[in-house]
Amino acid sequence: MTHRRTFALGSLAVFAVLGLLLPSGIRSLVIQIMIFSVFAMGYDVSLGFTNQCSLGHSIFFGAGAYGAILTIMHLKAGPVLSLFAGLGAGFFFAIVLGIVCVRLSEAYFVIVTAIISAVFHLLAMDLTWLTGGDDGLSATIPPISLGFAKLSLYNPLVNYYFVLLFLALSYLFLERVIKAPLGKIFIAIRENEKRTQFLGYNVLGYKLIAFVISASLGGLSGALYALTLRYASADYFSFYWSVLPVVWCLVGGLGTLAGPWIGVAIMSLFQYYVSAWFTYYLLLFGILVLIVLKVSRKGILGYLLAKGAK
Amino acid sequence: MAECRITANETLLEIRNVSRQFGGLTAVDDVSTTVKRGEIRGIIGPNGAGKTTLFNLITGELRPGSGKVLLNGEDITSLSPHVICQKGLGRTFQLTFVFPEMTVLESVWVGLYSRKKHRWDLFFSKAERSKDVMEEAIEICQLVGLEDRIYERASNLSYGDQKVLEIAMALSTGPSILLLDEPMQGVGPKEADNMVELIEKLSKRMSILLIEHDMDIILRLCHNLTVLSFGKVIAEGTCSEVGMNKEVQRIYIGEEM
Repeated sequence: MTHRRTFALGSLAVFAVLGLLLPSGIRSLVIQIMIFSVFAMGYDVSLGFTNQCSLGHSIFFGAGAYGAILTIMHLKAGPVLSLFAGLGAGFFFAIVLGIVCVRLSEAYFVIVTAIISAVFHLLAMDLTWLTGGDDGLSATIPPISLGFAKLSLYNPLVNYYFVLLFLALSYLFLERVIKAPLGKIFIAIRENEKRTQFLGYNVLGYKLIAFVISASLGGLSGALYALTLRYASADYFSFYWSVLPVVWCLVGGLGTLAGPWIGVAIMSLFQYYVSAWFTYYLLLFGILVLIVLKVSRKGILGYLLAKGAK
Repeated sequence: MAECRITANETLLEIRNVSRQFGGLTAVDDVSTTVKRGEIRGIIGPNGAGKTTLFNLITGELRPGSGKVLLNGEDITSLSPHVICQKGLGRTFQLTFVFPEMTVLESVWVGLYSRKKHRWDLFFSKAERSKDVMEEAIEICQLVGLEDRIYERASNLSYGDQKVLEIAMALSTGPSILLLDEPMQGVGPKEADNMVELIEKLSKRMSILLIEHDMDIILRLCHNLTVLSFGKVIAEGTCSEVGMNKEVQRIYIGEEM
């Protein structure tokens, strides 16, 4: 377990240094990696810790993005407040959805969450007065006022460290939760739901807690993404954004928190470099995923940790 | 662990006219029986007699079609399994149900923690830091004889030890009655002997309802027996009373010979 922690804290340190060294093109790629890492790590709480394979996380990502953009547009909120609005949007939808979905057993859970996310996608496309539909909404992001200084997210360095701060905070929060009794109960549920119930735990309640934590981070990630691009569109609700976190987690390693960061990094770098010379790069990426899973079902970090333990 | 004093003839668990149908099949048909404090009651019967279904009805995994289950005089028929467990009813499963990736100590800890009133410590305390709970977990491991293996992952234990671990986990919730579903199934003779000793030790602290096929073990352990066949109680009483029963002889001896 300590290796896992070392990896995560090490990566955060590397991110912190890279911000100063990287040229601007790659730096915005790393910003994207960090944003998606929040999403991936949150998703890991759902799939990796409580075995809930949701295909509805695009809802929370989209809700987070719109939560942030809409509060800035209509309520003139600052960036930090809008982030919490995004997180809150994820939280809210997760509770509503979770109450319906957590009681469903595995395959039904997957199907129902996928269907609900499809409904949300259609709604977001249709409610153009609210969401701007496919064209989306653009907003001007006000600077963050710290009292003595004003920091604008239009400055790429500020943007970089702003995102890194929230990645670090999310990680530290989750690490705490996973180490706490709650995390042990999550793992018990993953290992054997029925046994956990017969040890006196309200399994559905705990699955709902995991789902809501997971979705809130999805919302936070969506909000960070929207603030960085200054834009949100109905596309964020599409199925693509539900499948991405599954892939990230599988490649990086389920149940490792920081493992999915590797999945995000590989996929983003792959997209950035390979898509330039090969249109069907996702095909190649699919093969890469298969190879990783063939070598180890635990994903890259899971594999390395198991090796390190020997 | 809650020491329950053995007071004679006090009914702890009462099953009153419980029935359950699956489609056209009546798996449990108007079954009534009781378990007194400190009693070890065996449930025997041929395969498909409805023994495990009866366990599922008692523990809340299945709802009875009719009838009642009372624990300590309180109606627990329509409660969820986790609530029933909190009220002092522990169970083990026929197929071994452990947490493969967890260590022995962690597994027992999970059960112990369920008894705590949790508030914010659920999110932010360190699981290992709660000393009193850890000490109690070690105590339980000592009681069942797994004290040498507390840091072993459950998946690395032998099948027999996994069965013992399951009992340890059931104990950790502080039950006043323990339902054991074939705890000796698939384990070697020596391990089975240890298991018998363990169950005897436990029976001093709590009542036990035991499903078992091996008649030797049943005769060694149980004070009273309930014999099920096709979902019905066909005989009930002490081991010798049941042994004299014609119906039971027909099922057990008549068919086996």
